[in-house]
Amino acid sequence: MKAKRRVVTSGDARPTGNLSTGPKRTPTIRRIKSAIVPASASASQGGRRGGRDQGAADGTSARATSPVSEAAGRSDVVVDLSVDLGRGLVLPNPILVASGTFGYGVEYGEVVEVDRLGGICCKGTTLKPRIGNVTPRVTETPGGMLNSIGLQNPGVDAVIDRYASTWVGWRTPVIVNVAGESVSDYVEVVRRLDGVPGVAGIELNISCPNVGRGGLQFAIDADAAAGVTAAVRRATDLPLLVKLSPNVADVRPIARAIADAGADALTAINTLSGIAVAPGHGRPLLGNVYGGLSGPAIKPIALRVVYEVAQVVSIPVIAIGGVTELADVLDYLAVGAVAVQVGTAIFADPTLPVRLVDELDEECRRRALPSYRPLIGTALPRKPAAPSSKGVEYRP
Amino acid sequence: MRLVGAELAESREILPDQWLQTFHAPGLVAGARAGQFVHVRTGDYSGLILRRPFSINTADPGTGMLTIHFRAIGRGTEWFTRLRPGDRVDMLGPLGRPFEVDPRSRHLLLVAGGLGMAGIRLLVDEAIRDGRRVTLLFGAARAAEVYPSTLLPDEVEYVVATDDGSLGHRGFVTELVPDYEAWADQSFACGPQPMLAALARLAEGRRGRLGVARLGRKRGGGKVVPAGSAAARRKAFLQVSMEQNMGCAVGACLGCVVMATSGTPQRVCREGPVFASDEIAWEAGW
Repeated sequence: MKAKRRVVTSGDARPTGNLSTGPKRTPTIRRIKSAIVPASASASQGGRRGGRDQGAADGTSARATSPVSEAAGRSDVVVDLSVDLGRGLVLPNPILVASGTFGYGVEYGEVVEVDRLGGICCKGTTLKPRIGNVTPRVTETPGGMLNSIGLQNPGVDAVIDRYASTWVGWRTPVIVNVAGESVSDYVEVVRRLDGVPGVAGIELNISCPNVGRGGLQFAIDADAAAGVTAAVRRATDLPLLVKLSPNVADVRPIARAIADAGADALTAINTLSGIAVAPGHGRPLLGNVYGGLSGPAIKPIALRVVYEVAQVVSIPVIAIGGVTELADVLDYLAVGAVAVQVGTAIFADPTLPVRLVDELDEECRRRALPSYRPLIGTALPRKPAAPSSKGVEYRP
Repeated sequence: MRLVGAELAESREILPDQWLQTFHAPGLVAGARAGQFVHVRTGDYSGLILRRPFSINTADPGTGMLTIHFRAIGRGTEWFTRLRPGDRVDMLGPLGRPFEVDPRSRHLLLVAGGLGMAGIRLLVDEAIRDGRRVTLLFGAARAAEVYPSTLLPDEVEYVVATDDGSLGHRGFVTELVPDYEAWADQSFACGPQPMLAALARLAEGRRGRLGVARLGRKRGGGKVVPAGSAAARRKAFLQVSMEQNMGCAVGACLGCVVMATSGTPQRVCREGPVFASDEIAWEAGW
């Protein structure tokens, strides 16, 4: 195997040459890191560094001892909202905008203060330009919407050409959502993004339900998901997020396989496959027949998936699905997410993500928390639940 | 593009199930031009999660008043009909690219089908303000659905066609176009897609039928005008306002595209809703 170009963009990556196994290009060996690095300034939690479960314990103890309660209501106290996703990707706050709902970050213009977002996941990007699916592509459903855009995009080169120079100037990290039809597609797109100034990370879209080839086929099989993740991992040292699909029987083995293959974080969930019928016509409404369901309607499912995934992986989980208000953010944090992405709700209220940042900050002040981290994982069981002895219980 | 709170001033049902609502939104009206639209949020946040796009039916920068004209056809539009004067809605706009009228055009032929009137109504005002002659052809299913002429300026020549012949010409509105195509310098249309496609076919054969001489240099000859630019649209005989299911209305979600002859789908909310008729791939079936 020919040695491939290796670009080191962060101090975290270690040279792998000293490993004695045959090929020069072995997967990058990663130190398993805490989902979030406790802020050095937070005295109450100093010294207690650990994984997610530890984080939950921190939360309870911080509230119990409450050494910072005198800070309650004080406006000069700075709440630490930053999220460290590893490999040098530190989000200023845990409110991101989801892929496909915010274009390339430039579309909303001055209506949205882009620099106050925690991160931007841009529209799904493929190697070659794609024209997408036939119309109609979107329709509203009760409490949600169906979309079947079909990954329309101008191709990775055009995306870099048109938008990277704008992204460089932003404080907000831009995470490029990458889609493809084959492992080599993914690898090639990522290779072209590697080292481009303005690209802060990669979100692998292995779960798009709206394209014929590629997309979903990688998300429904643990081996395929791990394969594409590992291949991309070898191609770049950019922070790597992988987006999970809910269109599977059990997401846990897939999540575990992706984490083991070297992903830095997981995002959950992509849309659920669905269909709408044109009123009065009795035929499928969407041009592509199938569409992806998003919006508040899918929140309980997304909560369940995040809850399950957060218990089986030690990498951060970013939640997506029907976030429309602060309560939704808190719910996702409770089931173990370190950050959330706002998607469909942006269409109704473009200013929502920025407002959520303010509201989360306010909520932390109200609870006298120096950081939002004690809110993470409070709904997770202390230890993995014992197998049920009742045969009738639903265990997805 | 601005996000403003708009206060409902007046709401009335001008035709069966068709409503005309007047909003006070001075910050938004200031820059609005014919062909552009607003994206309005319904207040029923529990189930209706998308905004609704409406053509800017009329806009008066003097008073800051803007009207929208729509048919109550689903849960969203029905929610709007229940608004009372004084109620506020969240309005994003003006969005999209407007109709491009060549400064030299004296005679404008406007064609509207049904609710397409909402997309073209403001152009009537703008053209008359600029001293142009306007003929407006309007098609509807029957007399009861014909847009009232009292809501139009006196200066406009208003010609009606109905499918059942209950008012004006019996048949499609497109059948009236040949009587006017020699007179018109430019044409603008909004309505159902089959109507627009028929008009586009008519516009394509117009030069041949009229025997327009191809002598010497054409206006602006030699200059390369990129397709889809404002200049290219200004030169086109027919501009159409397209409709499509819409998500974000700012170009982010790529939900509302139409297939273009260039092979790249164009966003109705961003590159449109107004297109030159030869930009659209009518036969593509999108």
